[in-house]
Amino acid sequence: MEVGRLPISATQKGKLISAGYTSLSSLSSLSPSLLSRDLSITETEALVIIKHASRGGSPSRSPAINGAQTAWEMLHEEELFTRITTSSADLDNILGGGISCKEVTEIGGIPGIGKTQIGIQLAVNVQIPVDCRGLGGKAIYIDTEGSFMVERVLQIAKACAEEMSANYDFSRNGLPSGQVLMQPQDFLENIICYRVCSYTEQIALVNSLDKIICAHREVKIVIIDSITFHFRQDFDDMALRTRLLSGMALKLMKLAKKFSLAVVLLNQAANKYTEGSLQLSLALGDSWSHACTNRIILYWNGNERYAYIDKSPSLRSRSAPYAVTSSGIRNLVSDSKRMKMM
Amino acid sequence: MPFIYLHLHVGGARHCRVKARFIRWSPVTIYSVKKGHRIPSSFCSAVEDFLLHDLHALAAHAEEQPSSERLRQGVDQVFAIIDTIHQPWINGMELLEDAQKNKRALSTGCERIDSLLNGGLHEGHVTELAGPSSSGKTQLCLLAAANVAYQHKGGVTYVDTGNSFSPKRIAHFIGQVDQKVLRTVMNSIVCHRVYDIFTLLAMLHELEFRRKSQMCKGDGGVSLLIIDSISSLITPILGSNSPQGRALMISTGSLLKKLAHEYNIAVLVTNHTVGGNRGTIKPALGESWKTIPHTRLLFFRVCGSNTCDVSILKHPYVASGKAAKFTIHD
Repeated sequence: MEVGRLPISATQKGKLISAGYTSLSSLSSLSPSLLSRDLSITETEALVIIKHASRGGSPSRSPAINGAQTAWEMLHEEELFTRITTSSADLDNILGGGISCKEVTEIGGIPGIGKTQIGIQLAVNVQIPVDCRGLGGKAIYIDTEGSFMVERVLQIAKACAEEMSANYDFSRNGLPSGQVLMQPQDFLENIICYRVCSYTEQIALVNSLDKIICAHREVKIVIIDSITFHFRQDFDDMALRTRLLSGMALKLMKLAKKFSLAVVLLNQAANKYTEGSLQLSLALGDSWSHACTNRIILYWNGNERYAYIDKSPSLRSRSAPYAVTSSGIRNLVSDSKRMKMM
Repeated sequence: MPFIYLHLHVGGARHCRVKARFIRWSPVTIYSVKKGHRIPSSFCSAVEDFLLHDLHALAAHAEEQPSSERLRQGVDQVFAIIDTIHQPWINGMELLEDAQKNKRALSTGCERIDSLLNGGLHEGHVTELAGPSSSGKTQLCLLAAANVAYQHKGGVTYVDTGNSFSPKRIAHFIGQVDQKVLRTVMNSIVCHRVYDIFTLLAMLHELEFRRKSQMCKGDGGVSLLIIDSISSLITPILGSNSPQGRALMISTGSLLKKLAHEYNIAVLVTNHTVGGNRGTIKPALGESWKTIPHTRLLFFRVCGSNTCDVSILKHPYVASGKAAKFTIHD
């Protein structure tokens, strides 16, 4: 109720509301005498109310309607965001520093390209403490395919913990050397995992995420691996599928903004013939391709894995190589360097 | 109090005021109706009946009965009010004058698209950008927002449904300017996050009220309204067996057209595409949405490059099929 914000007494607010004046705009063109008669108050009091209303409603004072922000405010807010690193400097470089919070990022590629590996890496990396230029958050991992391998997570977490303590500036922050910042087990504890077995469960879970995250405010990333799996089968009514998917996409968008967390959706891909050439395209069709803020496509280039930014409002379309190693996602060490090392 | 009673039945502020005035003039008539006292006729038994009834028949009836003096007064007042609230007629010359004076063409900042659209985005028109994902729609929206705020000193309202509003990109489009100037320009772009159609409708209504009070004060206010993307809000409600989704879509569309026309706002919306016949692509949202935008542009990005093809699908006075190319730079 807009009139609730006016700096006037509660009785007057009550009178305004019971007389049907709830918005400031309804007061804007009234004369004091009319208002005084409607509310049975003195004309001076009515004049004060109208003055407050016109000040409160003037566009110069509050350019934004509830919940809106100006671009200037957002620009400064954006600078404060920390991005979630992918552990590959090349990948971070094309992503402008990593996976960004408040946005929905879709990562897609053919089986075996490393989608799940990136998902696990991000679930681990989001927990890097603030001291180490991380977010110190928790992760929600929604597993629809059954590909979340906890042994592998432990492996990646170990590598991450080792790397972290190696790079940590102990002398400055006063931690005795040799003490590990985070145990690999801590990483596992901070990953909230859901196994989803049907698309109904998936929709139900996405709907209840709001409540879950309200209770776990530290959650900084939601990973769905994969968004596609249950929607690619058992669907006769394609129009219904489109509707469900776009509704789910909006919910995830809202979540990303509300809790300023990153949403990462993993998607399957297929080769498709367009205009005579073989094109790699992600599943779920044309209308789904609008559902994310950023879209990254993973592909093979010879024997090397590459990531390509297919869609982004602020980043250039570029590609970078990466590698999946035993310790997780890393920069690709080129062949010539590898030869030297040997 | 009869006054309160009537407020419960009405939605918009304009109607509120009209009816409030009506009550003040003839409290007794309405009061008796509200209390269930039957007016000495079989015509009405409730306020709604009174307001919905064929007023001419009611007037004729009141004339016949000498005892219904108050009813006659009431009917006269309703006529007087109706005369003041319906839209006045305008002739062609006045329309032309209005078009030349109030309906400017706002440059998008992309020369080729401006010339394609005969000057840019026209105030009073709804322009739709349709195209597959990553075909440059959002980039053009951001560019137009930056350009209208910077070059035309206009206010921009940006409705973002996909978290794709990038203030950094806008600052980049504005370029190297004084920090103070940048601040003013960036402050005139307001971004709303909307994730469902109901919030959008509420927001548009509020925008209308604000705009109306600004018009009274002779203030410039918003001159560009961008919705990126309208289709993602409409798709979840469309296509079910109930006709509600379609009704919501059309009422959103007509509200946009009304905002554009009455308050001289250029409206820019984006739409996605679906596969049409024989492998072609066509804008989504179907046939009934087709009538909403004045101008429709189809975007298509050439595979593996930064070049985009734009072609006109519909325009009030430019031949459809006309096309142009533009490039998205860093």
